[in-house]
Amino acid sequence: MAETHPEQTQPQTGEFEREPVPKNALLGFKSFIGMYAGEHCAGTELMIGPLFVAAGVSAFDVVVGLIVGNALAVLSWMFLCAPIATRTRLTLYYQLEKICGRWLVVLYNLANGVMFCFLAGAMITVSATAVGVWFNFPMPELSDVYPNSVGWVLAVAGVGALISIVAAFGYQTVAKFANIASPWMVLVFLAFGLIGLRQFIDASGAEVGSLGDVWTLAKTHIWKGGEPLDGQIKFTFWHVTFFAWFCNMAMHVGMSDLSVFRFAKKSWYGVAAGSGMYVGHFMAWLAASILYAYQLHLDPSDTAVLPGPLAHRAAGLAGIICVIIAGWTTANPTIYRAGLAFQAIIPKCSRFVVTLITGAIATVAAMFPYFAMKLLGFVALYGLILMPMGAVIFVDFWLIKKFGLQSSYAEAGKAIFNWAACLAWVVTVGVCVYLFKAGILEIYFVSLPGWFMAAILYIVVSKFYQKKIRPQTT
Amino acid sequence: MRTIAQVISWLSLVLLLAPSVLFLMNRMPLETVKTTMTVATVVWFVSASLWMWNPKKQ
Repeated sequence: MAETHPEQTQPQTGEFEREPVPKNALLGFKSFIGMYAGEHCAGTELMIGPLFVAAGVSAFDVVVGLIVGNALAVLSWMFLCAPIATRTRLTLYYQLEKICGRWLVVLYNLANGVMFCFLAGAMITVSATAVGVWFNFPMPELSDVYPNSVGWVLAVAGVGALISIVAAFGYQTVAKFANIASPWMVLVFLAFGLIGLRQFIDASGAEVGSLGDVWTLAKTHIWKGGEPLDGQIKFTFWHVTFFAWFCNMAMHVGMSDLSVFRFAKKSWYGVAAGSGMYVGHFMAWLAASILYAYQLHLDPSDTAVLPGPLAHRAAGLAGIICVIIAGWTTANPTIYRAGLAFQAIIPKCSRFVVTLITGAIATVAAMFPYFAMKLLGFVALYGLILMPMGAVIFVDFWLIKKFGLQSSYAEAGKAIFNWAACLAWVVTVGVCVYLFKAGILEIYFVSLPGWFMAAILYIVVSKFYQKKIRPQTT
Repeated sequence: MRTIAQVISWLSLVLLLAPSVLFLMNRMPLETVKTTMTVATVVWFVSASLWMWNPKKQ
């Protein structure tokens, strides 16, 4: 799912941070294909795929839902994010600062950093399940909220400490290692799916001689539909579609990937995100879900979603290594990036210390299996919280002048806090949270009306704010 | 040296995936699949590091 891109993890390296990317630094299409394919095949895929099965998804709903949802995600990159990125060629942070002012960007960084802490926690959880295969301590169940054994706490502490220390020393080495691991990891995920499929054929006694037979096996044994497991929400076609579309909402609709596509020669390079979507968010999710469905097929009472044992059963030591590396290489930049976000708020504190503290928070979060076991809902929340700023950027770039208003208002008016953007953000998130807490709209869907709400609010409040409250003198 | 490392690393990826395809076709037992994938993993990380760690400058 949402991983951090190299460009996003280096907002302070001085690489065209506060200036448009020059022509000679632009990258070709292939760079984006490789980057997205690698970035979106990560540790959390091993949680998300199984959680679809736990949510009682049917074969048609998961396969077609993922095809449609991922296509919508790619279109969002192509038509919302990339066109602005290739016109302004600025980082998300600088673009936001011009619109919102420095202090609102600080708040945005805080929200971003907190969400990244919990996301990194889920990745540490994934890696720690691999440790459990060797040391055989009790591991969390699907419905567990709190850590359930000393062994689990120690394993998470060990993995989390290691990841945090490496991240604090600098993520560059791990980023290089992640690049090397990427093609290997994609193929291990594919192998998971092929092995799981054979195991299902053998366990069910199905005769498989054609693609039609595979589809029948998928419908009757792998993604059978029906009721979700205890504590899980039933997933339909629409849930899968919206989840696939919005799980990286912060990146496309939320415009985080402005920082990535500012290097693209053309805006249509946004289609490159399709490599990540259909490798990571289609193939890898389906492969991981096959492994979990097989576990349930063998023992319906064994509902624990534990990537380590799942991968070990399918691919032995290579599977375990895949789980550790998948969690590690994605948690590492996530912790590093969360540290950078926090450091922007308290610049006097050293990055080393901030990253260590951030890693410690992520590690403590990882000890609570609730965050990983509820990853589907958490990912939707993560997108929701960062999405309104994407709507603000979209409106500011394309629409606001048509309403007779000033774009890049904070820059033009030398403001450090744009209340119009702040209200659009906070009110949208507040209303959306109310809508799903009150049971009016599920969290997986609420971001769609939320985007329009944020866009309209930004225009309406700006009209009032720019004309009445803080008119510009120039 | 670099070219040799590249060839070996690409071959190791074939070695990584082929066992699972053979397992799907019921031509290889699972234990052999696991062992082969582990060997392929070691070969990939050693050989790929030789040319991917310091990529050639454009």
